Amino acid sequence: MNLFTILGLIVVAAPALLVAVLGIASIIDRPLSENWISRVVQTAMVTGLLASITILALMLSGAERRVPIELGHWVVVHDHEHTPVLPTAEHADHPIYHFVFKLEFDRLSVPFVILIFVLCGTIGAFADKYMHREAGFNRFFMLYAIFVLGMVVTSLAGTIETLFTGWELVGLSSTLLVAFFQERPNPCRNGLRVWVVYRLSDAGLLMAALLLHHLSGEGDFDKLMGTGAWPEGVATMPASQAFTVGLLLLIAVAGKSALIPFSGWLPRAMEGPTPSSAVFYGALSVHLGAFLLLRVSPILALSPALSAVVVALGLSTAFFAAFTGRVQTDIKSALSFASLTQVGFIVAEIGFFAWLGKRMDMPTLLYIPLIHILGHGCARTLQFVRAPTLLHDYRVLENAIGTRLTFVPPRWQSRLPESWLIRLYRLALHRGELDSTLQRYMVDPLLSGLQWCDELDRRIANRINGTPPDSESDGT
Amino acid sequence: MDQSHWIVSHLIEAAKLLPAQGPITAFVFLNSLQALEDLPFEAGLERGRELFGFETYLSEDRYREKLARERIRAEDLSETLRIDLGDRSQKPVGPAGNAFDLRLAMLSYPVRLAPAAELRWFVAETDALALYREEVSAETFERTTEQTRQWAMREVHVNTSNPWNVTFPELSDAAIERWPRSRWIAFSLRALWEVCRQGVHNLPIPHAQSQAIRHRDLFQEATGQDCDRLIDSVLIPFCAGFVDQGLATWELPHRDAGFWDTFVLLYGTTPPVELWLGELPAEIQKVASLSPAEIIADSLQKLGLSEVESPEYLTRELLALRGWAGMIWQAEDRGDRVGHPMPAGTLLQYMAVRMILLRVALGHLMRCERPDVASLADLRGALRNRIPPTPTTNVEERAFVVFQLSQVLGWSAAELSTLPAEGWSNLIREVESFDDIQRRRIFHLAFERRFRVRALDAISIHTQGRTNERVSAPQFQSVYCIDTREESFRRHLEEVCPRAETFGAAGFFGVAMYYKGVSDAHYQALCPIVVRPQNYVIEEVVYSLAESDRRRSSARKRLATASHQIHVGSRSMTGGALMTATLGVFASVPLVARVLFPGATSRLRRMVGSVVAPPAVTRLRLERLTKQPGPEGDAIGYSLNEMADVGEKILSETGLRSSFARLVFFFGHGAFCMNNPHKSCYDCGACSGSAGGANGRALAGMLNDPRVRTILAGRGLSIPEDTVFVGGLHNTTTDTFTYFDLDQLPRSHISDLETARDFLDEACRRNAQERCRRFYSAPLNITPTDAHRHVENRAEDLAQTRPEFGNASNAMTVVGRRSLTRGLYLDRRSFLVSYDPTLDDAESTILGRILGAVVIVCSGINLQYFFSYIDPSGWGAGTKLPHNITSLLGVMDGAASDLRSGLPWQGVEIHEPVRQLFVIESTPEAIAKIMARNSTVGNILRNGWVQFALLHPETAAISLYQNGEYIPYAASTHELSQATSSVDWFQGWREHMEFAQIGGHGGT
Repeated sequence: MNLFTILGLIVVAAPALLVAVLGIASIIDRPLSENWISRVVQTAMVTGLLASITILALMLSGAERRVPIELGHWVVVHDHEHTPVLPTAEHADHPIYHFVFKLEFDRLSVPFVILIFVLCGTIGAFADKYMHREAGFNRFFMLYAIFVLGMVVTSLAGTIETLFTGWELVGLSSTLLVAFFQERPNPCRNGLRVWVVYRLSDAGLLMAALLLHHLSGEGDFDKLMGTGAWPEGVATMPASQAFTVGLLLLIAVAGKSALIPFSGWLPRAMEGPTPSSAVFYGALSVHLGAFLLLRVSPILALSPALSAVVVALGLSTAFFAAFTGRVQTDIKSALSFASLTQVGFIVAEIGFFAWLGKRMDMPTLLYIPLIHILGHGCARTLQFVRAPTLLHDYRVLENAIGTRLTFVPPRWQSRLPESWLIRLYRLALHRGELDSTLQRYMVDPLLSGLQWCDELDRRIANRINGTPPDSESDGT
Repeated sequence: MDQSHWIVSHLIEAAKLLPAQGPITAFVFLNSLQALEDLPFEAGLERGRELFGFETYLSEDRYREKLARERIRAEDLSETLRIDLGDRSQKPVGPAGNAFDLRLAMLSYPVRLAPAAELRWFVAETDALALYREEVSAETFERTTEQTRQWAMREVHVNTSNPWNVTFPELSDAAIERWPRSRWIAFSLRALWEVCRQGVHNLPIPHAQSQAIRHRDLFQEATGQDCDRLIDSVLIPFCAGFVDQGLATWELPHRDAGFWDTFVLLYGTTPPVELWLGELPAEIQKVASLSPAEIIADSLQKLGLSEVESPEYLTRELLALRGWAGMIWQAEDRGDRVGHPMPAGTLLQYMAVRMILLRVALGHLMRCERPDVASLADLRGALRNRIPPTPTTNVEERAFVVFQLSQVLGWSAAELSTLPAEGWSNLIREVESFDDIQRRRIFHLAFERRFRVRALDAISIHTQGRTNERVSAPQFQSVYCIDTREESFRRHLEEVCPRAETFGAAGFFGVAMYYKGVSDAHYQALCPIVVRPQNYVIEEVVYSLAESDRRRSSARKRLATASHQIHVGSRSMTGGALMTATLGVFASVPLVARVLFPGATSRLRRMVGSVVAPPAVTRLRLERLTKQPGPEGDAIGYSLNEMADVGEKILSETGLRSSFARLVFFFGHGAFCMNNPHKSCYDCGACSGSAGGANGRALAGMLNDPRVRTILAGRGLSIPEDTVFVGGLHNTTTDTFTYFDLDQLPRSHISDLETARDFLDEACRRNAQERCRRFYSAPLNITPTDAHRHVENRAEDLAQTRPEFGNASNAMTVVGRRSLTRGLYLDRRSFLVSYDPTLDDAESTILGRILGAVVIVCSGINLQYFFSYIDPSGWGAGTKLPHNITSLLGVMDGAASDLRSGLPWQGVEIHEPVRQLFVIESTPEAIAKIMARNSTVGNILRNGWVQFALLHPETAAISLYQNGEYIPYAASTHELSQATSSVDWFQGWREHMEFAQIGGHGGT
C-alpha cells in the first residue's frame, strides 16, 4: 500500500466512519450528546480535509496526475465465448463484465473534495450552534453525515456504479433534509416533490450506466471517457453512442442541478433549516450535475451535437433563473435562483469548453468551469449563511447611501411593450410555470392513463371472476 | 351600496383580530388577542381558540410535568379547584364522593383515553385487570378488595339473581374459599370493570355535528381536499410582491394602481397553466364593473351565505392567511412605520381578490369532487351531508374512565353496583363536563397561583418592618428601563456599590421623538407604539469636525454603493459569473473566519470600519428655534418649556425630585446581534423595538441646560448646580455601556464618572454571569470575566439563534418605591417601575400616567410571550431555523408560507406562561379612579388579562384583586431564603429560581 492509497482511504473513511458512529448510536437508541456529535463531526471533517490537501500537495509536487484506488470487485463475469461490443486491446486480459468499487484521484476530483470538506466542515461548525437544543439535532447530523459521504463518493467515483452509489446517498439525505420539519405538511410535501424529481433523473443515470455496460462490459470511467488524466482524456466511442449516453446523463444532470425543466424543486428545497439550504442548494448539491458533466467531458468532446445541447440547456436555465430570480421577494428564493443562474452558466461553459478544447486541442480550458464551481460554491455559501442578517445589511447600506435602495432595471426591460412586461412578470412570479406545465401535461395525463389501466384491469378481472361490477367499489 | 357598507366597517373591525405586529424591523409587543380584551380573560381565550384554532393552554402532560417538578404544588391545584367550583364542590357524585374529589382525582391522575378497539386490546392484553393502578394506596385497595370479596360471597355468589346481569363464572369455583389474596385483588378489578361497563351501557351517547363554517373546512372534512392550498399558491407570491419594500429587484408592475387593479392586470386576460386557474379571467370579467366591497358581497351571495352568516364567514376568511392580511393592514393603517406604505382600502381589495380566488378554487374542486352539485350556493349543504355526525365517546371509553377513577377514589364494585341509573348518568355528566379544556384551565390557574403565592409572599416578608427611606448620600444615581433584564443589573450594581441608587422608568424616558442618528438615512420613532411623536431630533457632528465628517461620509457612501452593486450583481448572470469565477474562492476566507472565530473577526471588522466611521464627537440638536416642530432645519428639537415639561414629568414619575447625587445617569437599552431577523424584539419595547440610547442622551442634554433648570426651579423642582446628567446605552446582549457627550463633562466630575464606571463594569460582568446560567452552551461554573466574553461572542456569532433571552422570564411588575424590592432576588422576572406615592396628588395623576403606559406595555410583552410559548407554531413564529426574510417585512417558513408573526421559539424557550402579576403601591380608591379614567387600562385590569395586587403605601398590607374584589392577602409562610450575594444564590442552577433576600439587603 503506498502513501496515496492510505491517504485516499482516509478521505473516504472519514465520512464513512462518521456515518457509522452516528448511525450505530442512533440505531441502538443511544444518540450521542450535542457535544460529542460536534466533536466527532469536526474530527471527521478535519481529517478528511487534511488528507485531501496532502494528496493535492503530493500530486502537485510529483509527476502523479491520476491515482486510481480499487477497492475490490462486486461482480466479475469471465466470459470467453462472447466478445464485447467494443473490442479493444485492453479487454483481452480483462474480465468481460465487472462492477468494481474504484476511487479516482485526479485534478478534477481532488479540488472538488477539498471544497466539500471546507464547506461541509464550516457548515458543520455553524449548524452545531445553529441547531442547538433542536429536537432533531441528532437526525440533522445523521443526514449531514450521509450527505458528506455521498458527496465524497460521487466526486471520487472511478466507475459509474460507484458514482451512482454516492449520487443516491446525496439524493436521499437531501430529500430528508428538505422534509426535516416533519411535523408540518409543507416540508413533507416539498420533500416528496424533490424526491420524485431526483428519482426521475436517477433513472437517466441508471440507464446510462446500463448502456455503458452494454457497450463495454464495465462502468469504469477511465476506459470509457478517455485514456489520459482529466482533463486530457480522449474517449473512444462512436459519436452517435456518445450522443445517446450523453443525453441520458444529461437527464441526470438536469434533475440534480435543477436545470430546465426540473428547476421547480429548487425553491421548494428551502423548507429545511438554513445551514442545509446553504450547503446543499447553494453550494454543493446543485453543482453535482455540473461535476458529472465535467467527469464525462470527453464524451461531450466527441459529439458537437451533444455539446450544443448542453450549452443550450445551460444558457436557457441561466436566462430563466436570472429573470425569475429578479421578482423573488424572499431572500432564500432570490439566492437559490441566483445560484441556479450560475449553475446554468457553468453547464453552458462545460459544453462550450469541451467542444472548444477539443477543436483547439486545449483541454485545459475545462479548468475554467471547475474554478467557477469552486468560487461560486464558496461565495454563495457565505451569502446563504448570512441571509438572516439581510435586514441589518440593508439598513447599513441605506444609512451610508442616505436613501432607500433602488434597482435600475436592465435596458431590455424598458424596451419591451407594456403587455409583454406584465406577462413576463407573471411568468416569473409563477416560476416559469415549469412545475405546473409538467403537472398538467405530463403528470396528470400519466396518472389518468394509469387510472384508466387500473379500471380496465378491474373490469377484466371482474368479467373473469364473474363478479358484478358494482360489488367491488366499496373496498376502494 | 347599502350591502357593501357593512362590509367595509366589518372588515375594519375584524382587522383588529389580525396580528398587530407590523414590520419585523420594529417589533411591537402586543397581546395576540388584543381585540378581545373587552371579554374576561377566560372567555377571551375560549373565543380565541375557536376563531383561530390555536391552543390557549399547555397540554395536560406539560402541566403534569410541572406538577411532578413542583412548579405546581398539590395545594395549588386543590385550592384553585375549590375556588373554581364554589358551592358545587360538595355536590355528591358516584357512590361516595363529591364533585371536588372527582375533579381532583381527574387532575391528579392521568386518565387513559383511547378508541374503543384500543381499550379492548388494553383490557385484554395488559395487566389493567390484574393490578391496581400504582397510585392507589395499599390501604385503599385492601379495603376495596375486601368489600368486593364480601359482596361477591354474600350477594353475587349466593344470591344468583343479582340485578346487574353480570355473571362471574369464576365464582362457581369450588375452591373459592381458599382463594389467595392475589386472586381476590384480580377479581375485585374484574368485577369493577364489569360493573362499570354495565353502569354506562345504556346511557345515550351524544353525537357531534361538524361545526365548520368555511367551505374549506367542510371540504377538508368531507373529501380531504384543501382549497386554501390552491389559493395560497397564488395569493402569497402576489401579496409578497405587492407589499415588497425593496427585496425584489424587479418591482410588481403598476402596483400603485392598487391591490385589485394590479391583480386584474396580471390575471384578468390569460389564465396561467395551472388547471384550477382556468376560470380565473372569466370570473374576474364577471365582476369587472363592481367595487371591491360589492365583489365581496357578490361572492358571499354566490357562495350561498345568508346575511346572518356572512359577517362571521368573512372574519374567518380574513383570518385564513392572517400573517399576510395583517401585514397589509399594518402597512395601510400605520403607513408611518414602513418605507412603502399601502394606500387606503388595500385590505378591502385584498379580501375581494381572496373571494374571487375562493370562487375559482371551489368551482374547480366542485367539478373534480362533486360533479353532482349544480351551483356553488348548494355546495355547503352537499358537503355537510357527506360528513356523518360522529359519536363523542363510546361505551368502552366511558367505562374505562370510571374504572380508573374508581380505583383512585376507592370505589369498589360493591358500592358502584348499588348506584341507580340516575346516579350513573350524573356521574358520567360530571366526568364529561370536566373535559380536557376545563382540566387544563384549572391546571393553568393553579400554575399561576403557584407563582403568585411565591411572589406575594416574598414581597410581603421583604417589606415587613422596612422604612421607605431612599439611599442616603447616594454616590451616583442611575435610571433604567423598567425591563426585566435591568432588574438583575440594578441588583448587581446595588450589591457592588451599596450607595448607588437606581430607578426604573419606561425606556423612552418621556422623550417621544422621531430621531435620526448621524449615520442614519431616515427618522425612526423612539416611543411606545401607541404614541405618535411631535418632535424631531437629529444627531450631528460638531462643527469643528464637519469637514472630516463630509469626507468620511462620502467614503462610506462610495463603499456602500459598491457593496450594494456587488450584492445585486452577484445575483445577476454575467456579473455573478465574473465575480464568482474570479474572486469567489476568496469568499471562503470570511466564511470560515466568521463561523469559526466570530469574536476575532468582528474586532477586525470594527477596526477597519472605524476608518470611515463618523467622527466620535457628535451633538444632538435639541433646541428648536421655530415655533412649530418639524423634521427640517430650525424646526428640529424642543422648546425650553417643552424640555422642562419632559424633565419634570420623568423626575416626578420616578420619584427623583430631591437628594440628587453629583452624577445621574439615564440608561436606555438596546440589543446588538448578528444574523437575527428578530433582533428588534430584543430592543426596547418602549421605543417601538429600537434602541433607547438617544432618549437617555436627549433627556440628559435637556436637564443639563441651565435655562431648563431655572424653569424647573420656578416650578419647585430645584436641581443642585453640581448635579450632572449623563445619557447612556446599555447593550443587553453584550452587557456593555456606552456613554454620550462625555466631552462636555465638567473636569470636576471626571473622577466621579470613573468611580461609577468601575462599579458599572463590575455589575456588567456579574450580570453576564447571571445570564449565562440560562445558556446551556455556557458552563455553570463560569467566572464573571469569562461570562462577559461569552455574551460578547454570542452577539457576533452568525450561527447563534439565542443571542439573549430578552424578557422571556417576565412574570410580574412592581410599581412602587425601590425600597419594596431592593435586596430581593427577583430572578429577572419582574419589571420594576419606580413610583413614589407620597409625591402623587389626590387624583393619582402620576400613577395614572404611569399605568397608562406600563399596563399596556407590560401586559403586551407578557401576553405576547404567553401565547407564543403556549402554541409556538400557532401564535408564535415557530422555530427560527427555516425562517426566510420576505419583502423586508417579515419571515416565512421556507419559500411560500404565511408570514410568521409572534415570537420565535428560540426566544421564548425559557418562558413560564403566567399572566403578569402587577404589584402596585397604591390604594383601591386610587386604582378605581384610574380604571374609570382610562378604559384600556380598566379593561385589562378588570377582565383579568393581568393579575394585580395592591400594596398599601403606609401599612404595606397586600390585597389581591379577584373577581372585582380586593381580598386581603395573608402570606403563606414567614420564611424567605437568605443568601449573601446574588451569585451565591444562583450559582449552579439553570432553571427558574425561588426568590430570596440578598445579604445586607443591598447593603443599606
